[in-house]
Amino acid sequence: MSGHNESILREPLITGHDITYAKITNDILSPVENKPNKAWWIGFIVSALGATLWLFAVSYTFWNGIGSWGLNKTVGWAWDITGFVWWVGIGHAGTLISAVLLLFRQNWRNSINRSAEAMTIFAVICAATYVVSHMGRPWLAYWVLPLPNQFGSLWVNFNSPLVWDMFAISTYFSVSLLFWYTGLLPDMASIRDRATGFRRRIYSVLSFGWTGNVKTWQRFEAVSLILAGIATPLVLSVHTIVSMDFATSVIPGWHTTIFPPYFVAGAIFSGFAMVQTLLLVTRKVLGLENYITMFHIESMNKIILVTGSIVGVAYLTEFFIAFYSGSEYEQYTFLNRFIGPYWWAGCMMYGCNILMTQLMWFKKVRTNIPLSWILSIIVNIGMWFERFVIIVVSLHRDYLPSSWAMFYPTWVDVSVFVGSIGVFFTLFLLFLRVMPSIAIAEVKLLLKTSSEQAKLSQIKTGHVEVAYVSEYVDSLEKFDSVKQEEYAKI
Amino acid sequence: MESNKKYWKGLEELKNTSDFVDNNKNEFAEPLPIEDVLNEAGLSTVTPRRDFLKALGFGLGAVTLAACQPGPVSKSIPYLVKPEDVTPGIPNFYVSSYNGQSILVKTREGRPIKIEPNPNAGRFSHGTDAPTQASVLDLYDVSKLKAPVLKGSETTWSKIDQYVKTELVKAQSSGRGIRIVSGTITSPSAQRVIADFIKAYPSTRHIQYDAISYTGIIKANENSFGKAVLPKYNFDKADLIVSFAADFLGTWISSEEFTVQYVSNRNDQALKNGKMSRHFQFEAGMSVTGTNADTRIPIKLSEQGPALVTLYNAITGNNLAGGVLPNNTSAEKAIKLLGKELVQSKGRGLVVCGSNDVSTQILVNAINSAIGSYGTTIDLDNPSKKYAGNDAEFAALVNEMNAGQVGAVFILDANPGYDSYNAKAFTTALSKVPLKVSFADRSDETAKLCDVIAINQNYLESWGDANVYEGVYSVVQPTINPVFNSRQVEESLLIWSNAPVTEYYQYVKNNWEANILPGLGKTWNDLLQTGIFFAPAKPAGAYTFSMSLATVVPTVLNNSKSLAKDIELQLYENGAMRGGRYANNAYLQELPDAVTKVTWDNYIAMGPKFAQKLGYNEFDVVTVKGANGYSIDLPVLIQPGQADGTASIALGYGRTKSGKVGDMVGKDAYPFLSLANGTLQYATTVTTTKTGDTYELAQTQTHHSYEGRNIIRESTFTEYTKNPSTGSGNHGEKHKSYDLWDTFEKPGNNWVMAIDLNACTGCGSCIVACNVENNIPVVGRDEVRRRREMHWIRIDRYYSFVEDGKNVTEEREIEELKNMDNVSVIHQPMLCQHCDHAPCETVCPVLATVHSSDGLNHMAYNRCVGTRYCANNCPYKVRRFNWFNYWNDSRFDNYLNNEFTQLVLNPDVTARSRGVMEKCTMCIQRIQTGKLEAKLEKRPLKDGDIQMACQQACPANAIIFGDGNDPESKVSKALKSERVYYVLEEINTQPGIGYMTKIKNTDSSQA
Repeated sequence: MSGHNESILREPLITGHDITYAKITNDILSPVENKPNKAWWIGFIVSALGATLWLFAVSYTFWNGIGSWGLNKTVGWAWDITGFVWWVGIGHAGTLISAVLLLFRQNWRNSINRSAEAMTIFAVICAATYVVSHMGRPWLAYWVLPLPNQFGSLWVNFNSPLVWDMFAISTYFSVSLLFWYTGLLPDMASIRDRATGFRRRIYSVLSFGWTGNVKTWQRFEAVSLILAGIATPLVLSVHTIVSMDFATSVIPGWHTTIFPPYFVAGAIFSGFAMVQTLLLVTRKVLGLENYITMFHIESMNKIILVTGSIVGVAYLTEFFIAFYSGSEYEQYTFLNRFIGPYWWAGCMMYGCNILMTQLMWFKKVRTNIPLSWILSIIVNIGMWFERFVIIVVSLHRDYLPSSWAMFYPTWVDVSVFVGSIGVFFTLFLLFLRVMPSIAIAEVKLLLKTSSEQAKLSQIKTGHVEVAYVSEYVDSLEKFDSVKQEEYAKI
Repeated sequence: MESNKKYWKGLEELKNTSDFVDNNKNEFAEPLPIEDVLNEAGLSTVTPRRDFLKALGFGLGAVTLAACQPGPVSKSIPYLVKPEDVTPGIPNFYVSSYNGQSILVKTREGRPIKIEPNPNAGRFSHGTDAPTQASVLDLYDVSKLKAPVLKGSETTWSKIDQYVKTELVKAQSSGRGIRIVSGTITSPSAQRVIADFIKAYPSTRHIQYDAISYTGIIKANENSFGKAVLPKYNFDKADLIVSFAADFLGTWISSEEFTVQYVSNRNDQALKNGKMSRHFQFEAGMSVTGTNADTRIPIKLSEQGPALVTLYNAITGNNLAGGVLPNNTSAEKAIKLLGKELVQSKGRGLVVCGSNDVSTQILVNAINSAIGSYGTTIDLDNPSKKYAGNDAEFAALVNEMNAGQVGAVFILDANPGYDSYNAKAFTTALSKVPLKVSFADRSDETAKLCDVIAINQNYLESWGDANVYEGVYSVVQPTINPVFNSRQVEESLLIWSNAPVTEYYQYVKNNWEANILPGLGKTWNDLLQTGIFFAPAKPAGAYTFSMSLATVVPTVLNNSKSLAKDIELQLYENGAMRGGRYANNAYLQELPDAVTKVTWDNYIAMGPKFAQKLGYNEFDVVTVKGANGYSIDLPVLIQPGQADGTASIALGYGRTKSGKVGDMVGKDAYPFLSLANGTLQYATTVTTTKTGDTYELAQTQTHHSYEGRNIIRESTFTEYTKNPSTGSGNHGEKHKSYDLWDTFEKPGNNWVMAIDLNACTGCGSCIVACNVENNIPVVGRDEVRRRREMHWIRIDRYYSFVEDGKNVTEEREIEELKNMDNVSVIHQPMLCQHCDHAPCETVCPVLATVHSSDGLNHMAYNRCVGTRYCANNCPYKVRRFNWFNYWNDSRFDNYLNNEFTQLVLNPDVTARSRGVMEKCTMCIQRIQTGKLEAKLEKRPLKDGDIQMACQQACPANAIIFGDGNDPESKVSKALKSERVYYVLEEINTQPGIGYMTKIKNTDSSQA
């Protein structure tokens, strides 16, 4: 990936002028090697309080029973599975960035993949806690695994999407963890090499004795590619299977063949929104504007726009099929999203996910950091409501009107969900302190070819057409990390 | 041959050294270092390897032995000497009777656990009502007293006897009267006991009163025909039934019996014979009977009098004044047409009226006489003895007590401190009586005011008998030893009257052998086996009404007129509480009202338009103020079909001393009652004001229309006669299902069910029967509000409306209706459909719910991890999740969760723990028992060997269960009916339960 000159027409992936390999290491490792700042502490304390709330609420549930949630005879899943699908969906962006974009040689992923993958791991952890905690008898959760046992000939039901789900989630988690950790190895070694004393010993263990010789790098690259190959189908399969938790049922609003692609698109959509939410803050707080640039932000916004539109098409298709099917139950279910007692949830779903993301068509919106951040939050909310609408609003009025019921969450429902966000951020903030939040080695690869300074020297050597240069300079205008006045004289 | 070979263990032995010879005398060749080990120095010695191994071996052995200690001592004690009739695991059945119903009591290991109808009881063998099903729980009520009480503290029977006898002598000698106050006593032996008591204390008088009084009918019959009786009604002989607010399928007199009669003219069999009765209901509040009527026309309470006069005029051609309904022309038109039809169907019509007013009932008698009902549909010669209370006598008693003329009062099977007319006056008067004895089993509203509570036994602990109809005698026999230190009321009375025989068993037996059995030609042992005897029925006389109506009609009209102001309030008895008697029965508190589906509360029911006019929304709390100044705050319930300008409140709530379950549930409406012309009046007028509060009622169903979905299929009798499969889609004989896969064979049985929607009246008896049979927990009001009731079978009740001849079923259209009076109601029992393609089965990750080869959908509680996917994926929403550990959670202590009450549990059914799913099992324990019995008797299973609890309890016989593989079984034949359809069959769940269309007989009249 190095050794040739990248086209000047491509926007730089690293900005700044005096960037050296050492500076990259210094910049990225600064949060790891220094005492945390005030912003981190505030964030951590708030998150840790959330995590404590989660611990309390989950313990309360385990002690008293699922009855402490607001579920009833009609609505058997609500905030629990909504939260589960939401978190799994969020995880998808990490895998997409690290695996799919790697295979497609999208270099810009190098700056964001580490955090995105970490986000994946933590999101899947949050999702997995729901898998266990929503069970009536969580102490028997291992029964859904096809373990050899002495209960007789008891085996799991391979027809059940919940068993597929268990396989999907556990595979996803292990592959993601492996991929993420493999990528971390050279960076762990960097920390080790700079650390002293006890820290050094820990990081030497964590870096698995990374030597940095050519053979190691070669194998590293090979393993990364193989893992990317394994992980890529997971991007599609995991949420496909999650969607089958619903699609294989008979409940109107669930029983839909469009669910697999619709859920995958939705997952990537929500995942990128979460990456955006996290990185827009991280780059500012940790001073990583040179590595996570406006180009990254805009690229992610474009993906949000594309996937959001796919989701929009899926929504419209659902409505058309409900109309076209002639099934009164199906028709009622979709009408009920607007005229039923949960009309506001339907409005949140369609409003946040379709209407708001269409704003991304405008470059001004895509490159506006505060607006991007707000939109990313709106997408997160919208996608939560999407799952809420699919799960609760479909269930609460299904076939027999006698059983129609409302779902009202209890404080425990809310606490488990809010708490899971706390758990997520606690893990993420701890990650920022102990591991490099950007893949140092991979970013270094880009320095000689795709950085602003490389392009500048290209310009300075004068081999580039003037028209190209001016276009390149124009494209830099949106960058908040580029000193625009330097280009005024060119 | 002797061997020369010598085997040796060591050189020492070979050489036979002296050392060896010495050592060989010892058990061990070398001395064991035990001493060394045990003394203190030993601990520091270096242990040789062998010693270590020995110690290890000993230690292991010792620990193993110690671990072999038996487990915790179990509380169950096997029979040392096995009683002859009791085999653990095998139930015993005893005939008995309760509330006029002949029953079988199922006992297991000496515990009564279930009430079943007595199959040998002739016309009383069809099902029971819900309170009877639930009555077994009353035996295990923790709120009962455990010993008799004298002046507020528990004491012994001898002290009670001493005290009461002394006081009785004092009362007798003081010249003041002794009064026994009771509900209606149907037991001939108990009546004799009271007669004996009166003989011993001649100043005694026995006063009967009923909380829900039928004095009006009795007095009217006395007045009209000289017979002070409650007639026997024959709804089965009536082709045209017109009811004015008589809830004869819900609570009126013997509703479970009337249900049997009524349904016999409307079920599938009757329809196949081309016959269906017609039923018109004119009423203010929506009753169970009203929901079943072919045509129900709401009339105000104040319109009932004029309506009856109109009907009388129409039938007789008279022109009595007042026979107009100026504000209800549709009712007037209908009544006039009905009059003609009643005349045409002479002798096959029946008019009943729920009023307790003598004049009104006299007018009804006149009508029935004019249409020739006496001798056919009404039988005055074999009357019912179920209610004999006299309201006026009770009112007189209060005056007597106030005047200090009463020296002693005995209160048995009654709670006048709560449920009598003007209970406050009664309690004040009671305090003026020197000796007050209650026979209640708890310190209830009346008993707490008494000096003595001589706690009575539950009927399951007692001997007794009943004579509910003329010529019908049944026995009550104990099924368990008295649990507490209680004594039967009859025995107490015998002891206090110094009777020669005080053992009540002997007394009953003597009484029967002397007075009843000889006439029947039977023996006491026959009685204990069959439980019920019928004397030959007397011929029913055709009575003619020949009195003058000159004073009657003006009284009726004046009564009506006096109601025509403010809000006309109807006070009624509901199917579960029965006037408050069952307030402490958790099963009944949680039994949803058949019409409103409300549990655990009473409320003020108002029509939608009327509530709107008053500015009330559902669940708004309003203050209801009566003419006498009494007021209560009750939530509003919107009741479609409630007549405009009227409201209804159920009696039997707001009890303060019923026990843990029933105290402070709802509000007491008894003080609204009034006494007029010698009878209690259940209609009055009230005013209401909004309090601004809201109160959410715990309903098991909150959406009331079926949205035009074909889950409900109905038709009319005319259409049915043209084409029996009308409305059903003809899925009986021609029913086919399609499979993508190979179907599984059902080689043995294929358990299926048929439910006749035209038979089901919605009474809810099946729900309670299922609760008791299957150990279904009671979850309480808050959990029902959260929609978490656990009932395995429920009865879905849907309202639809008729406007311009069209059926309006969708909520949005209903909201826009101008006239909401033409409400049509349907009841649909809903339980696990045991689908052959069960959506729940495929989604369970752990195979906790699977299909059996006999067509059942099984639920393995122990395997369930509680993902609840099965419940989500159930299109019928019949699966129930154990949100909490209902059987072991202090929050549910009020209901069934205590060691004593849990004795009611059916040992054949697992009590489910928290976190598992449950649902109807098709009483799999009963199927198993039936199969085993057949196997033991080496015979094939017969149709009808196995009955579901719900099926057994159903008085309407709406549920038919059996083997679908047997083409001759009742259920197979039923499922071939053209009326059969399957709910949601279009999603190919292939349900095992077929429903028969609802047929209404509406067309032939213009009404």
